[in-house]
Amino acid sequence: MDKNLKRPELLAPAGDMERLKIALLYGADAVYVGGDLFSLRANAINFSKEELKEAVSFTHNLKKKIYVTVNISLHNKEAEKIIDYLKELDKLKVDAIIVSDPFIIDLAVEHTSLPVHLSTQQSTLNYEAIEFFKNQGVSRIVLARESSREDIALIKNKIDIELEYFIHGAMCASYSGRCVLSNFLTDRDSNRGGCSQICRWDFKLLDENLKNIQGDKDFTFCTKDLSMLKYIPNLINLGVDSFKIEGRMRSTYYVATIVNIYRKAIDEYLSDPSHYSYNVEYEKILRNCANRDSIPQFFDGNYGVNCQYYNGRVEVSNQDFLGVVLDYDIVSHLATIEQRNYFKKGDLVEIFGPSISSITFSISKIYDEDNNVIEIVRHPKQIVKIRIFETVHPNDMMRIKR
Amino acid sequence: MSKFIVIPSSKEQILNLLDLCDGFILGLNNFSVNLPITFSLEEIKDIIKLCKSLQKQIFISLNKNMHNADIDELTSNLVELSKLDLDGLIFYDIAIVNLNKKLNLNLKLFWHQEHLVTNYYTINYWCKNGVYGSFLSSELTKKEILDIKDNTNCPLMMNVFGFIPMFTSKRPLVKNYLSKFNLQDNSKINYLEKENNIYPITSTNVVTVYSNNILNLAQEINELSEKNIAYFVFNSFNIESSLFKSIMLLFYKLTNENQKEIFDKINMLLNYKSDTGFLYKNTVYKVKKNG
Repeated sequence: MDKNLKRPELLAPAGDMERLKIALLYGADAVYVGGDLFSLRANAINFSKEELKEAVSFTHNLKKKIYVTVNISLHNKEAEKIIDYLKELDKLKVDAIIVSDPFIIDLAVEHTSLPVHLSTQQSTLNYEAIEFFKNQGVSRIVLARESSREDIALIKNKIDIELEYFIHGAMCASYSGRCVLSNFLTDRDSNRGGCSQICRWDFKLLDENLKNIQGDKDFTFCTKDLSMLKYIPNLINLGVDSFKIEGRMRSTYYVATIVNIYRKAIDEYLSDPSHYSYNVEYEKILRNCANRDSIPQFFDGNYGVNCQYYNGRVEVSNQDFLGVVLDYDIVSHLATIEQRNYFKKGDLVEIFGPSISSITFSISKIYDEDNNVIEIVRHPKQIVKIRIFETVHPNDMMRIKR
Repeated sequence: MSKFIVIPSSKEQILNLLDLCDGFILGLNNFSVNLPITFSLEEIKDIIKLCKSLQKQIFISLNKNMHNADIDELTSNLVELSKLDLDGLIFYDIAIVNLNKKLNLNLKLFWHQEHLVTNYYTINYWCKNGVYGSFLSSELTKKEILDIKDNTNCPLMMNVFGFIPMFTSKRPLVKNYLSKFNLQDNSKINYLEKENNIYPITSTNVVTVYSNNILNLAQEINELSEKNIAYFVFNSFNIESSLFKSIMLLFYKLTNENQKEIFDKINMLLNYKSDTGFLYKNTVYKVKKNG
């Protein structure tokens, strides 16, 4: 590893305990989770106090970190309950809280020893605002999604503070915090975690005389996703402290795949920067996983015509994820697999996991739970055995090879 | 007595409304968003001169999200503005709080992070940190507004009339759409239509989408005024100038004439395309139980 380069933290979303464990096992250095209060993903499953306790213990046993989002815009009623909640998080020894409302910074500094990270909801884009928050006791800034390469370099140069930057996932079409379409159109409060994603709806675009301007498709606000895979070396060289993956509502497969790919890219670059080469195969896996196109957003230039979706897009649910390994018998070379999507004898598949590089093979034999030979695995959560001659481990995942 | 503050759409409109309001919110070119018009610093100086001679108040709204590249010019603008007779400077980006403090500019800052000004604890936090007043989010209920007023000494501003910005983006969404499908359109303002609702959308230095209905708190104004909300804001965006003047005149009369008749007149003038926003409407954010 190049000693001049700082190893960034890979920070993954964890919507529940299963995803937390998967994210950490697959290579995340830290996870961020929502408690059952004050979190902007109000409709994720989120963590109760007891679950948080278990999550902290699991994470710390691996010598990794866990951050809790406390990032809604408080209304009067919610604000009344916040001190007790912060004290509770402090007792649980979470590693930091992620906040957007500055009042919470003040409370955390005064009443707890919790480090405070400033949420992207504040859309922080400049060193003056960052200096203000640093003086208030914030130890890390989650930069606005509109930040460019030049913005990061300048801020790093001017202020000594940790910077967290989104590297992958879905993006708001607006400046974060500056959209209440959801409130007005569906009565759901976007800044308190109820966003109903109006930006994915389609609208007619009219001119100033209310005449329809009709393209081949209707108008939407919908932006393509973010992927910074191509820019991992740039971000490491810029000294970004934490690489954040978006998506607390995403599946375990999504979390495992995205974490796994970025873990590899980061480690490969750090181990030998001068001989690092971009792996197109990784890009393909990321694209297939989300079923959405991705771009570097504002990191490297303007946001042009090809950065958006223009409706009419069919969003097919991901069927790449075939199953999860439950067990492996080293004598019989049989892996026990729990099914997630249809697969059959002859399929070319790939198994990947936290402790193996991926294994590619054609499925030759499939046995059901009573050891009968079968050809097709069609039932959700069906338990089967397949022969694999290389060792695999519990929690490894099997996907179709494309 | 609450003051009536207008967001104007032109210089002419300022002249026309001098008798019907207590002041104006002005935008500065390149530093203000979600306003129907912005002005140069020189123009602002002229407007201040005129307004101050008539005891009208002037607020400047520097409410864009500031990038690093904006900071030098922002700093010199703040220094210039601090020399003028302003009644307040409305801000979104926290860089302004930092600069005001570091440079001892003593600008009377009004916190207006549009949709984030939602509780009195945070309002009081800002007052403790160099901010003078707060401009409330439009997504609050009347009860929340009154609770805030009861628990802060910070002067409050709130929208009472006009189209309300709902969405602000750096992404040139309309331009990209036109370009994608090779369409020509030079409209100064566009609209989005969904299920017979029409939302204004503008593309200047940012893209802004506004509410379909006009917020109209005519029936609430006297009660809110009794609670000493300091400033009522009237936004002229996308409202024909003579209509806006008629509305202002009716609001002006609200305190001393037959109120029912005035409410009816306002509703008629607005063709009944108005509502009371979130005043009586609670938003939800948790739509299912855990697990």
